[in-house]
Amino acid sequence: MMFRISLLLLTVGVANAADYVNLPGGRFASVLPADATGADVDVAPFAMRSEPVTNAEFLAFVQSHPQWQRGRVASVFAEPRYLMHWQSAQKLGSDVLPDQPVTQVSWFAAQAFCESEGARLPLWNEWEFAAAADATRADARNDPLWREQILAWYAQPAGKTLATVGGPANFYGMRDLHGLVWEWVDDFNALLVASDSRDQNDPDRLKFCGAGALNLRDRDNYAVLMRVAMLSSLKAADTTNSTGFRCARAATPSSQGQLP
Amino acid sequence: MKQVIYAMSTLLALTAGQYGLAADTAPAATQGYIHGDFGPPRGEPIHAVLTTPPMVPAPTQRNYPAKVIVELEVIEKELPISEGVTYTFWTFGGTVPGKFIRVRQGDTVEFHLKNNPNNKMPHNIDLHGVTGPGGGAASSFTAPGHESRFTFKALNQGIYVYHCATSPVGMHVANGMYGLILIEPPEGLSPVDHEYYVMQGDFYTTGKYREKGLQPFDMEKAIDEKPTYVLFNGAEGSLTGDKALTAKTNETVRIFIGNGGPNLVSSFHVIGEIFDHVQQEGGTKVQENVQTTLIPSGGAAIVEFHTEVPGSYVMVDHSIFRAFNKGALAILKVDGPEDKSIYSGKEVDAVYLGDRAGSNLAAVTQATKAATAGKLTKEEQIKAGQQLFVGTCSVCHQANGAGLPGVFPPLAKSSVIAADPKRPIDIVLHGLSGKVTVNGQEYNSVMPPMTQLNDDEVANILTFVLNSWDNPGGRVEADEVAKARAQPAANPAAGH
Amino acid sequence: MNIRRSALQALFTLIVALPAWMPAAFAGEAAALPDDSVYHLDMHLVDQEGRPFHLADRRGRPQLVSMFYSPCPYVCPLIIDTLRMTQRALPASDSSKLDIVMVSLDPERDTPARLKQVFGERKLDPATWTLARTEAPNVRKLAAILGIQYRVLKDGGINHSTSLLLLDANGRIVAQSGKTGELDADLVAAIERTLAAD
Repeated sequence: MMFRISLLLLTVGVANAADYVNLPGGRFASVLPADATGADVDVAPFAMRSEPVTNAEFLAFVQSHPQWQRGRVASVFAEPRYLMHWQSAQKLGSDVLPDQPVTQVSWFAAQAFCESEGARLPLWNEWEFAAAADATRADARNDPLWREQILAWYAQPAGKTLATVGGPANFYGMRDLHGLVWEWVDDFNALLVASDSRDQNDPDRLKFCGAGALNLRDRDNYAVLMRVAMLSSLKAADTTNSTGFRCARAATPSSQGQLP
Repeated sequence: MKQVIYAMSTLLALTAGQYGLAADTAPAATQGYIHGDFGPPRGEPIHAVLTTPPMVPAPTQRNYPAKVIVELEVIEKELPISEGVTYTFWTFGGTVPGKFIRVRQGDTVEFHLKNNPNNKMPHNIDLHGVTGPGGGAASSFTAPGHESRFTFKALNQGIYVYHCATSPVGMHVANGMYGLILIEPPEGLSPVDHEYYVMQGDFYTTGKYREKGLQPFDMEKAIDEKPTYVLFNGAEGSLTGDKALTAKTNETVRIFIGNGGPNLVSSFHVIGEIFDHVQQEGGTKVQENVQTTLIPSGGAAIVEFHTEVPGSYVMVDHSIFRAFNKGALAILKVDGPEDKSIYSGKEVDAVYLGDRAGSNLAAVTQATKAATAGKLTKEEQIKAGQQLFVGTCSVCHQANGAGLPGVFPPLAKSSVIAADPKRPIDIVLHGLSGKVTVNGQEYNSVMPPMTQLNDDEVANILTFVLNSWDNPGGRVEADEVAKARAQPAANPAAGH
Repeated sequence: MNIRRSALQALFTLIVALPAWMPAAFAGEAAALPDDSVYHLDMHLVDQEGRPFHLADRRGRPQLVSMFYSPCPYVCPLIIDTLRMTQRALPASDSSKLDIVMVSLDPERDTPARLKQVFGERKLDPATWTLARTEAPNVRKLAAILGIQYRVLKDGGINHSTSLLLLDANGRIVAQSGKTGELDADLVAAIERTLAAD
């Protein structure tokens, strides 16, 4: 009996299981199509944290994983600006609120956090699948008003004080996918956008194996283009003061929400 | 200390140049086009001095190719766009347009692009003066809190636009991410008294023109090419009032005028001036005597003119609703002594008779002149009155004064005039209504007061009538009319 | 229950944290690993002979590293050619001091047996060449640390950037080349410099 319980605990990890919400997945018209013919992608069912990881949660993580503390982590995993807004390596300080999403974290640091709770970073398609929804619709991307609202956030500089997590939930129960921070994804370096984004139809064929970089569909959805541009500009050890993350994992019965 | 070192090395380089460090190669043996590669850079690297618009850096005054280090930082910030209206601009160097870069043809430019850590967006730069993929965009894609560097050789002289080319490109440009880079010809530009930097752009906000508050960018309006503002240097009033450009009379002014777009083409015109020289589209050939020149979106030109007379010269986009309803207006204030031989100001403010100034009113003019001189004769009055009678009185009383039986009384051999030659003054001034018997016939009509006629005109017309068609003769003077005008009507009629 | 939970927590922490500690343990008598060394990323790989090894085991000799997948029809054969060309451009005494490692982007299909097949087909020299595979999460991490972009397509094909990375003996990336099908003189020069420095 005890053996079975401990086995179960090991498989689902020690994170607060209530934070993860199941999403059904399904066929999805992704901005980055599945192949050169522009096919839709199939997103397998998955679970994702309903909110970005907070300063408090990340603080707990670096306390129990000291090799990820600022000043101790190798620069190959996190650049010098890593967590620089915290007062010290293990202290937030009064300017940094525990419930703000953690920022100034690199992809490696985000991955390590997610692995520490038996999870991973979401795939680009999983994140976009969740982010296509508004409060009432699974896919609101054709609504120009909704798109304008999201664009308005991107147009504001990052200097203002960061809000705390816990905004209104969307159709899938996800919060803060828009309007708070940019978020790392597992395959951030798979976007294969030419750094001069006007080159979309002129791939240097030898530079990208597989007959060139993928073309972006739906160029009118500027918010998505901006997310692609943002992630494409980053390397795995980079941090910015508007980039945070949340974790994802396989859908399990212990998460909230019904399994499909 | 760094500044001193660089200043000294520049000075040294310049001096060395004077002493004949081999100057640039003359234009190649091939006809016309100079390739622009003058060999490797010489001397110490120079840190380019970038200026805030509308100022332009001083000429390089070099005669050899150098390595020039350019450092430009992208800053996203909220700035005023109009009175009481703000907008979140994305800027090169904190201003719209971005800082002005000045190098020389053949220079090797080491370009550092920094993205301020407080920015949210990644950015890059495409300089139209760069020969290379994306104009540099491919090599300068930079995330916030990072810096990119690339190097290019400035092969072509000219004035070039630079702008951000990060997706979505239209939005980055619409938010103000553009500026100018001048690549001087090897011999430098001819000296002028003033050089200024002006750049037009179109802006798209969800609110209406001059609607107050922080206005967000409107993507739909940008795609539909329906700007809310069309501005010089990123804000209404950026170059007016105490921020107007200045010059004195008898000076030469050169304006580097660019157009960042993103959408509109500019019809650039300076009201009251003619461009002596225009390097249209920034190209090498010079056009002369141009009133309005086209600046393509993503293009620039160099205009030069000489100031002669003082005044405020308004620079506009001559698609004129943009100037007066969207803000595309800037001012060059020229001070100095007047020169009436070139422009006199208003000389005459005279009466213009409009549609009554027909060819037959010479007598009227004559009479006016004579009356002014105080020498008006009866003959002159009669002649003037005759011309004025036509079209005014003759409409009802007929040209021959016969009137219309039963409707309008005659003036010819009028019993009313014969009874009292001065009575017509009152009738003309105040009108007449009700029963009146003229030449044995009864009339019962309304003659309105002729209020459009002045004293001279009434006097002249009546003098004519008195001396026509067997009427008693005599004359009526203008001051008599003036006195009668002051009196109440004997038998008033309502005016028209 | 509480005790068990915290015990499990501790165990979990240990399991997760351990890999990052391992390079420090292996450093042994050598100098501490430089901050920007790729060998901080410890991962388990298996080569074309089925032999397991850690990435950090490569420390001590300069490495020319790239990523590929064997069914790749276009550029991957060219990458091998380019690497061979680069190796041949070095003087004989130097070329034996440089190791070449190619890690698969498609660990599911590139089993050690498959890698061995490719190794034979391309007649690669076992003294210096290694074709290797690792588990999927490590593939992403290695690509991230090397700056290689890749994307798996629906049909199993993989779009990837082509990049050859030169690591010095301590695992720092000292040169990178995107040229395929031709010799990159700058890369050869960098290899000579790196070999001379050791």
